[in-house]
Amino acid sequence: MRGLSRAGLAERFGSAFRPSLGGGWGGRMVAGALLSATLGVALVQSSLLLLITAALLDPPAGASAAERLEFTDGTTAAVSMLGVVLGGAVFLAGFIISSTFAFTVDQRRRDLALLRLVGGSRGQLRRLLLGEALLLGTLGAALGVPSGLAVMSFQAWLMREFAFVPPGFEGRWRMWILGVSFGTGILLAVAGVLVAARRAARVRPLEALRETGAAAKVMTWSRALIGLVFLGGALALVIVAPAGGPAGGMAMAMNVPIPAAVAVVAFAPLLVPLIARLVPFTGPAGLARANLRDARRRSASVAAPLIVLVALVVGNTGAGASFTASGVRELAAQTHADLVVESTAAAPGGTAPSGTDAASPSGTAGAASIAQVPGVASVSTETRLPAEVTTGSGEDRETEVVSLLVIDPAAYGKAHGTGDALASLSGRAVAAGPGGDVPTKGTVELRLPTRDLGRIPVTASVPATMSGGANLLVPPGLVTPQELAGAPARSFVTLSPGADAAAVRATLAKIGTVSTVADWLRADAEAANSTNQKIMLIVLGLGGLYALIGVINSVVIGAATRRREFAEARVTGMTRAQVVRSALLESYAVTTAALLLGAVAAGATFIAVLATTKSVTGTATLDLPWPQIAGVALIALAVTGATTLITSLSATRPQPVTQLRSS
Amino acid sequence: MTTMTMTGAAVTLQDITRVYGRGQAAVRAVDGVTLDFPRGSWTAVMGPSGSGKSTLLHCAAGLERVDSGRVLIGDTDITAAGDSQLTALRRTRIGFVFQSFNLIGSLTAEQNVALPLRLAGQRPSRADVRATLAAVGLADRVRHRPRELSGGQQQRVAIARAMVTRPEVLFADEPTGALDSSAARTVLDLMRAMADAGQSIVMVTHDPGAAARADSVVFLRDGRAVDRLTGASTHAVADRLAAWER
Ligand SMILES: Nc1ncnc2c1ncn2[C@@H]1O[C@H](COP(=O)(O)OP(=O)(O)OP(=O)(O)O)[C@@H](O)[C@H]1O
Ligand SMILES: [Mg+2]
Repeated sequence: MRGLSRAGLAERFGSAFRPSLGGGWGGRMVAGALLSATLGVALVQSSLLLLITAALLDPPAGASAAERLEFTDGTTAAVSMLGVVLGGAVFLAGFIISSTFAFTVDQRRRDLALLRLVGGSRGQLRRLLLGEALLLGTLGAALGVPSGLAVMSFQAWLMREFAFVPPGFEGRWRMWILGVSFGTGILLAVAGVLVAARRAARVRPLEALRETGAAAKVMTWSRALIGLVFLGGALALVIVAPAGGPAGGMAMAMNVPIPAAVAVVAFAPLLVPLIARLVPFTGPAGLARANLRDARRRSASVAAPLIVLVALVVGNTGAGASFTASGVRELAAQTHADLVVESTAAAPGGTAPSGTDAASPSGTAGAASIAQVPGVASVSTETRLPAEVTTGSGEDRETEVVSLLVIDPAAYGKAHGTGDALASLSGRAVAAGPGGDVPTKGTVELRLPTRDLGRIPVTASVPATMSGGANLLVPPGLVTPQELAGAPARSFVTLSPGADAAAVRATLAKIGTVSTVADWLRADAEAANSTNQKIMLIVLGLGGLYALIGVINSVVIGAATRRREFAEARVTGMTRAQVVRSALLESYAVTTAALLLGAVAAGATFIAVLATTKSVTGTATLDLPWPQIAGVALIALAVTGATTLITSLSATRPQPVTQLRSS
Repeated sequence: MTTMTMTGAAVTLQDITRVYGRGQAAVRAVDGVTLDFPRGSWTAVMGPSGSGKSTLLHCAAGLERVDSGRVLIGDTDITAAGDSQLTALRRTRIGFVFQSFNLIGSLTAEQNVALPLRLAGQRPSRADVRATLAAVGLADRVRHRPRELSGGQQQRVAIARAMVTRPEVLFADEPTGALDSSAARTVLDLMRAMADAGQSIVMVTHDPGAAARADSVVFLRDGRAVDRLTGASTHAVADRLAAWER
């Protein structure tokens, strides 16, 4: 048996690189399976190594206490982003490797039936297939490890380029990753084949005699069960997301595409042909249409990676853009001011801008001075400091870096429309800010960069917002002016009715950078959108590319066993052009069905987005990036079309008779 | 029972029925057939298209279950045999040859022939395999892959593969159906020689010329065995077939 497997693989490998010798179809199938394993392993390995490197990153030597905290805050963000990247990589690798391997098994039913016919037992078939998977998984991992290093340097470059990590950040190799990578490759390949092998081992020997190889059952109970379980998971996320607050809701909504796509894929053998048949087209002799009806399982397998690709990319970019838009809208609605002044808190006793008092009562240079500028009705000056908050006790004790805002509670309430939620804020009490993450009551341990404040009661809170912000709001008395020196401050200024705006701006310009609230909001929105796009690129870029390669793979594998079918069509009187055209039409119909089904899975995400934005901001927001969506659809159509064109042209190159000759 | 082993039939069908589909759409592909295929003899099965020849062959070889009746290979009742028993049967006691040659495209002629032995867990000796290929006249083609062989040559590889386990019965469904007359003659000569050497063969065919090479011919019509000829000429077979096709 081992000899057989080796002979089969050797031939398939050999011909993978010598397709001109003809009959390299099996070769392409194996090459496709190998490629999916290699890239999957590479992606998982790279994401894991980067994640661990980022998590263990130390602040640069000689950094100040505040810089250390900022650094930790930055790496925490990078780590959680890489966590998402790793999660996506693991899902995609699992999905693409296992579905590709299962597809190659499904496609070889006739060969397997033949083995049964000449005396192969079910156990032998299973062992053969699992042995192949083991071999290919190992080989895929062996190629995946070096490829992973290349992927890692690219991903690290991207993260540096977008300033999500400090300059000089590089993923670090760890020896144990070899175990992870080989484990990943082998495990996923074997897992993919396991179910398919059980099904294939039950193939009846007689199927070897059916020319077209009667396909496996279209829907199986296990498939339906998997579909229902994941459908339930997707629904649960959609239902719970609005209750999760901004951060939780966003995370849940962004996770909907995965179970939704898996559920749709599980039912794809029913759905794809159904939808594909509705796609309007006319083709030579209705062959494409007949094939759609006949090869349901193949259509579904070809569509699967595309459904996942569309669900992930459209779902996540749509959700990201919508949450960003919702945050921008919310911020605009909540900000009540005319001008924004960005400045730096001065050291006490330092030179204050001319015409203003030096040390202000709030400990923040500028607040009092701004308030005294003629024409200013009110001002909320907010000075930002990094801090460390420890919550819980014992096992649950958790410390995280947060962003702390020193505010004037009354002025803050006016500028941000939080009313008198902060009225009780004074002395040693603090409030949970719009950024969430801090308990809204009880006590927390608070450490400033330079001083431990010990246990402090949280007596108030403002609602967590979509756009985030500071995690902790503290009254002026808690932090000394010395501790605030050099910290960035932002002042929201409201003019008195009839004030000379230009004159006020001119005066304020001596304190800091002045912009109108409209301009400031616009700049903030731009920054938010750009950050969102960078995150999407990092999270979806390589994963999307991998899924796209999975799409190409599935088209190639789907065409691998069709030489004979094409040849028969030609012998029946179809021209080569007609055969190719019919294959293209079939691919177009399947691609369209996959796009629609992917859109359905993405649609589930959008329901969660609408519900979450509604519950957090009061306004349901959906802001879809149509250019990207159209791009995904066009790329999908182009890629499946081109792959089908190439495979069907190459499959019809030899004289048809030669294809009918060998079994 | 054991006393029948040497004298009994190679394959015995007792009132077997095979129905496809249900209700209105039900087709009685084989309808109450009782037949013996004698040991050491070559029996041809003829009949109009759709008369149930292939179904009969599949039932006789344990590839298809019967809905009623009994099937015996030698003295072994395989009517209710489980998968592993049927697998063992295919490995050691029966061989198949079909119209489409059903070779594995990625394996050489030699590897295809050795396959059943490998599956049976034996280490096939190269000499045995080559001898089997030589017996079908392909000593110089051992390293060729199916696509590099002519149809007749491929069919001879398939026969070699079926014979390498020295099966009790060889089942063949239109083995010459895809071959031209000279390639067909080579294959039939081969089968005649095998039958003369004591091989039991059951062969479905459309071709009266092929059927005439067999020791006897069974005629099927609408799933029933309707006639049997022994030692008939091509002409006689053709006439009888025409009569039943009318
Ligand atoms: N898997 C199946 N499902 C339903 N009906 C079948 C199936 N296989 C065969 N039949 C039907 O059973 C009948 C006998 O078919 P069978 O293939 O045995 O005929 P045959 O005599 O071998 O014909 P031919 O000479 O054309 O090969 C036919 O009416 C056929 O349509
Ligand atoms: Mg037949």
